[in-house]
Amino acid sequence: MDKLVAQYSRPAHQNEFYSEQEQQDLNESLPPLSLKFSMPPIDNSASFLRAMTDDHSNPSCPIKIAHGTTTLAFRFQGGIIVCTDSRATAGNWIASQTVKKVIPVSRLSRGEDKPSNDPTPGLLGTMAGGAADCQYWLRYLSQQCTLHEIRHKRRITVAAASKILANLTYAYKGYGLSMGTMLAGVTPQEGPALYYIDSDGTRLPGNLFCVGSGQTFAYGVLDANYKYEMSEQDALALGRRAILAAMHRDAYSGGFINLYHVKEEGWVHHGFDDMNPIFWKTKLDNGEFSNVTSEL
Amino acid sequence: MASLLDHSAGGQTVGYSFSQSAAAPVKQHGFYPYTDNGGSTLGITGSDFAILAGDTRSTSGYNINSRMVPKVFKIGGDEETGEGAHIILSVVGFAADGNALKERLDSVVKMYKYQHGKSMSVSACAQRLSTILYGKRFFPYYVTAILAGLDEEGKGALYSYDPVGSYEREQCRAAGAAASLIMPFLDNQVNFKNQYIPGSGEGHALQAKKAEPLPRDHVQELVRDAFTSAVERHIEVGDHLQMLIATRDGIEEVFHPLKKD
Amino acid sequence: MRGPTIIKAEDDKTRQLNKHTLMAFSGEAGDTVQFAEYVQANVSLYTMRNDTELSPAAVSSFVRGELARSLRSRSPYTVNLLLGGVDPVTQEPSLYWIDYLASLAPVPYAAHGYAQYYCLSLLDKHHNPNISLEEGMKLLERCTDELKRRLPIDYKGVLVKVITKDGVKVMDFDNDRVVRSA
Repeated sequence: MDKLVAQYSRPAHQNEFYSEQEQQDLNESLPPLSLKFSMPPIDNSASFLRAMTDDHSNPSCPIKIAHGTTTLAFRFQGGIIVCTDSRATAGNWIASQTVKKVIPVSRLSRGEDKPSNDPTPGLLGTMAGGAADCQYWLRYLSQQCTLHEIRHKRRITVAAASKILANLTYAYKGYGLSMGTMLAGVTPQEGPALYYIDSDGTRLPGNLFCVGSGQTFAYGVLDANYKYEMSEQDALALGRRAILAAMHRDAYSGGFINLYHVKEEGWVHHGFDDMNPIFWKTKLDNGEFSNVTSEL
Repeated sequence: MASLLDHSAGGQTVGYSFSQSAAAPVKQHGFYPYTDNGGSTLGITGSDFAILAGDTRSTSGYNINSRMVPKVFKIGGDEETGEGAHIILSVVGFAADGNALKERLDSVVKMYKYQHGKSMSVSACAQRLSTILYGKRFFPYYVTAILAGLDEEGKGALYSYDPVGSYEREQCRAAGAAASLIMPFLDNQVNFKNQYIPGSGEGHALQAKKAEPLPRDHVQELVRDAFTSAVERHIEVGDHLQMLIATRDGIEEVFHPLKKD
Repeated sequence: MRGPTIIKAEDDKTRQLNKHTLMAFSGEAGDTVQFAEYVQANVSLYTMRNDTELSPAAVSSFVRGELARSLRSRSPYTVNLLLGGVDPVTQEPSLYWIDYLASLAPVPYAAHGYAQYYCLSLLDKHHNPNISLEEGMKLLERCTDELKRRLPIDYKGVLVKVITKDGVKVMDFDNDRVVRSA
């Protein structure tokens, strides 16, 4: 009843201007990545959001949100391999073929695309599901990681960082976030560590994960050829080949192969390469993909 | 429902349409605070400039409400003339949300200047726009935004967004109703996708043509071609083409007529 | 399967259509065996009448035609099929992928259902047209290993049959090996 009265007892024009809070936000010199979100003025905000944005259950939804797809990461004796495709889709529309789905986390590694080949210290996060959700929350996470670094004078562990993210996604469970992310890093306390976190609030440590609509195809190649003891060269080739398999069979995956290696000293980028020449080279040199023929 | 009413009236038809609503159950009206105002926008960057363009038609359904509602705005400039601005923003989708977004980003950029005594860089503004959009993650702005300007090195910079704030720096981007018509054209003409150097090899050895920044007059021609073509095949695009060009010397505005049918 | 109960763990989901052609099926209970045996009977009828063996290509076209006809009837068969055979004249092996909507595709390797998602990428990588029987069995083992690892349901093993120019034979296959995930 109070709610009902409150709804009608204030002047109708009150919302037309910036609220005091909003004015204050504008005046703050450094607006924080806030946890305050504007909500629709109805009881069931999740179903509203689903009706407006979920193109899976409602293909004619008005707001098409960009989604990301196949990503993988695995641990081996030489560190962690992280590899992704680069396609973003909004319904059947390919919104972009050049998405960077590997996101450096923590302040030190925010060097963007540096030309140098030296390893960059810090963690890597991957992006599957809603592109904006992953970008925003991994940025929030790197803010928290940087604060941790300043407070404790040492870098955060992957376990702790992944817990921050998992607690966050669990707090927003049911609100309609969509993300499946992996956190990879090497720290003195835990060695090479890999965690899977998703928007249901799941958090799992493990050796090998594939996330996204092409995950099964990547798993197929990866599981059959994965050995913890393999060389760095073999591990890089396997990561690349597993993503190629998913790009070939999953229509929501494609574009460029984005490959990273996380080592003790930090992460190294091993290229953002167009899949097409790699596909033809793999087919013609190794005789793979025999379902693709020149016969009509 | 209508037949029930007819029987109670003894077979006589009551001629009023509203007579039904009295007997009809209370209508569950859905919460739908959006409409699509149509139109299209596009942006292309060069080595020392960035262009954002959009048509000026405003539609709702099959009605054309206005032929002059600009979709491209100067951000952080004078209220009336837009003077002093160095960042441009285009918004397409729901015009009211687009305006709200523009106003909000404009005040953020101005507050930044008052507080720091220098103008906001385009990369900072791009990140800020992303967080503004994500702030309404659970009640999204129904807009596709493109932000452009010159980066710290004086090169053209362009950032494209989805409705909830995922963003990426690109060379070119088309958005809105005719995005699916314009974007493939830009891929081919700006990034030279599927273009190869003649005689550079046989079969798979054929060399792909490398993309490089295009001169300004050529880009302006591309923009005009993109829109005149989109007008031919999309009902929500037409009337006028508005172009804002960010250069070292400030922002220029150009209008061209488009077909009015 | 009926409800949550497995009725029989080692059911043969294949039918031999003639000496060199074998058809594997999955789909709606009842439809599968009825359709397979209907096809089986008609193929042998043709062979008896004309005293010639139908080639796998001819059988596949017949099966597709029957499925297409059934699809437009009152109660269509809901059956997905894989049809493999060796041509009695050219001795060329061939495989056909057919679904319940009567799509037909000649393919080098195939799967139906969830198995597709896990196995096709593996087959893409490890298959080549000159593969030996031994290598083929190794590759099949890779596929079943992956299904054991990743499928949320326990599928109780596979029955393996091989079609050669000499006919169809059942292969030994170890279904009890435990596979561990990385």
